[in-house]
Amino acid sequence: MTTTEAPPNPLLEGLTLRRRPDPCLLVIFGASGDLTSKKLMPALYSLALRRLLPDKFGIVGAARSEESDDAFRERMKQAVKDHARDPFKDEIWDELAAGMRYVTLDFADDKGEDALAEKLKELDEERGTLGNRVYYFAVPPSAIGTLVDEIAARRSAEGWVRLVIEKPFGHDLESARELNAKLQESFAENEVYRIDHYLGKETVQNMLALRFANGIFEPIWNRQFIDHVQITVAESIGIEGRAGYYEQAGAIRDIFQNHLLQLVAITAMEPPIDFTADSVRNEKLKVLKSMHTPGPKHVVRGQYGPGFVEGVEVRGYREEEGVAQGSMTETFVAAKLFVDNWRWADTPFYVRMGKRLARRETTIAIQFKRAPHPPFAHTADEDLRPNTLLIHVQPNEGISLAIGAKVPGQGMTIRTVHMDFLYGGAFREGLPDAYERLILDAMLGDATLFTRSDEIEEQWELVDAIVSFWRRDRISFPNYPAGTWGPSAADELMQRDGRSWRSH
Amino acid sequence: MAQSLIETTWMGEDVSIAQIERELARLRAESSEEGAQPNLRTSVMTHIAWAPPEWQGAAEETLAGMAERHPSRTLLLVPRPDEPDGVDAEVSMRCYPVGDRAICGEVIQLTLRGNRSRAPASIVLPLLISDLPVFVRWRGRPVWESPEFVQLIGVVDRLIVDSTEWPDLPGSYQELAELFSKVVVSDIAWERTERWRSLLASLWPGIRDVRAIRVHGTAAQAYLLAGWLRSRLGQPVTLELDERERLEGIELDGQPASFPPGAPPNASDVLSAQLDRFSRDRIYEEAVRATS
Repeated sequence: MTTTEAPPNPLLEGLTLRRRPDPCLLVIFGASGDLTSKKLMPALYSLALRRLLPDKFGIVGAARSEESDDAFRERMKQAVKDHARDPFKDEIWDELAAGMRYVTLDFADDKGEDALAEKLKELDEERGTLGNRVYYFAVPPSAIGTLVDEIAARRSAEGWVRLVIEKPFGHDLESARELNAKLQESFAENEVYRIDHYLGKETVQNMLALRFANGIFEPIWNRQFIDHVQITVAESIGIEGRAGYYEQAGAIRDIFQNHLLQLVAITAMEPPIDFTADSVRNEKLKVLKSMHTPGPKHVVRGQYGPGFVEGVEVRGYREEEGVAQGSMTETFVAAKLFVDNWRWADTPFYVRMGKRLARRETTIAIQFKRAPHPPFAHTADEDLRPNTLLIHVQPNEGISLAIGAKVPGQGMTIRTVHMDFLYGGAFREGLPDAYERLILDAMLGDATLFTRSDEIEEQWELVDAIVSFWRRDRISFPNYPAGTWGPSAADELMQRDGRSWRSH
Repeated sequence: MAQSLIETTWMGEDVSIAQIERELARLRAESSEEGAQPNLRTSVMTHIAWAPPEWQGAAEETLAGMAERHPSRTLLLVPRPDEPDGVDAEVSMRCYPVGDRAICGEVIQLTLRGNRSRAPASIVLPLLISDLPVFVRWRGRPVWESPEFVQLIGVVDRLIVDSTEWPDLPGSYQELAELFSKVVVSDIAWERTERWRSLLASLWPGIRDVRAIRVHGTAAQAYLLAGWLRSRLGQPVTLELDERERLEGIELDGQPASFPPGAPPNASDVLSAQLDRFSRDRIYEEAVRATS
């Protein structure tokens, strides 16, 4: 007997179908942590509100602390009220909360895993989620190995499994390799989603649109026309009670290793042949591979002392709770990086990032070469500033182009003016939070905006090389007051090249 | 979400286009405080609304919900052919705070009196923003051969109608189909059926042999859904219409279809969705041709 397959559905043609994932259960390890209440649950609520979650869906929170299902739901409800970008609607929440459970789990003990597996099985039957699982690891890297083993041991033949791993992914190249190896023992690369939430930001993705959807930028996006690139990832906040993590990580592992290097990669990458996960990640990897290890003179580190942020007196890093008195952890890094390839040879990428800086700002500034010969008499060179294309990643997401314009009146006075495209001005839909996009992508199996194992390892290789020479030099900390733009050595890094950081 | 709106307005009777442009420039300059960063005029399109007096209220209401999402220059044209010749204008800058700046759109309401209502393209052309798409939202059923309609579709990239507003369906769809080669058309009534079309598409392949559809909804939605099924399935599908103010249910061969999830979109949402599209909608065009 032969069976005939149904022909393609002609009714689907022309419909703008929303991407809706398969039925699944989302398991959050580290459900008692800040990330879950401040980011994950509000993102899930916003997805539920927009009907983007699967029809059949459930959430299982897992953490060490004892908590009942009801207490977990109540705590998450408050978290959504406090942190979601959308107004709270009871009916949306009730629908989401009906599929929520909590499991107490000691990450070092496999008994909790049995309880979790039991709960997942129950929920599968109740919610019709077909054994599909997204495991979200909002836990330190040390806890991941055991959990991965336990999940692999209990993996059933039914449904798919995706593992979403939060940063930090390891603490150096060796540990990252070990973690990758551990994951690859039981899971395929396309089942692992290493999250870097910067890649989920609309403005970071807009960099790809800006570069590859506009004919005017790409021809000048190279060493011939660009003098240098400046990338700033600045936070005005301190370590917010996370001394335990930050003392180990410092700015280089917290920001440089992941967000900052990803921003460099997206700025410098070649056009991918398409927008599939591997095409985009192959191009980013090429950039990471072609980056020089900067010498000691090209890296500046700093640690904040007491100072004022937005008029409020704040403590120095060493006075923060949980920080060692003589801590040598850096809270600021600036570096001059080179992407050694045909497009970018000799074009420096100056990057800086840190805590307790003058203001919260993430920007990518493409500084073009000066006009070769200003024909205007009586115009000082400094009046003719080079064109800068500024990509504001946060806040005030948008793009500005600084151009020279004539000041109205007699003579020929030139002043720099900004042409602004403010994201919020042209598209008033409200930007989705990065976590909304990334959780949804993981459920859909789209890894384009996640970091692949080889990218992670390249990133760590660069960090390890920088950290290795820090062990040898002696530096006096603190070396910048809170509320400023970092140590003077960061300014000197650019001044030596006859350049300066963008003024604010 | 709507934020606090700052609106500055100028009104004039018997005005010229040059006067309107001058007043717009003045309003733009005055909309920011002295010494502060100038407000940004942001435009993603020029949006023309042709609203005879009986449609004026509805047009203004829809615009109010949409201006924030599609910052644009909006030209609201109110024809009053029976009045003495002249153009009256009400020019507004509508600014919404975004961070430490404000984003401003422009709304120019023009009352076209007497003969001036018969040559709207000549009034609109100098006020279009260069290089940006131009949409015209035509309220009510167009008088297909009228000079004002023919002129305006000649200068725009896209015509937006709502066939729910038309009195003589399905006859008018055949006249609309004649326009498809001249201008890109979209229909708000069609947009309002999208949730239902997605739902019906999800019934494939069970829906493959459907022969009859009964629609509890507006005539426009019923004819368009039936036309869509006929054109997509390539077979006759009879329509039975139970006329209601909104689409409330569908039966296929006598069996009720379930209700699509989510709430129906409001008027601004529907128009907003149309403004995000630029190319011809072949599926809609085929559905219109198959309405009768």
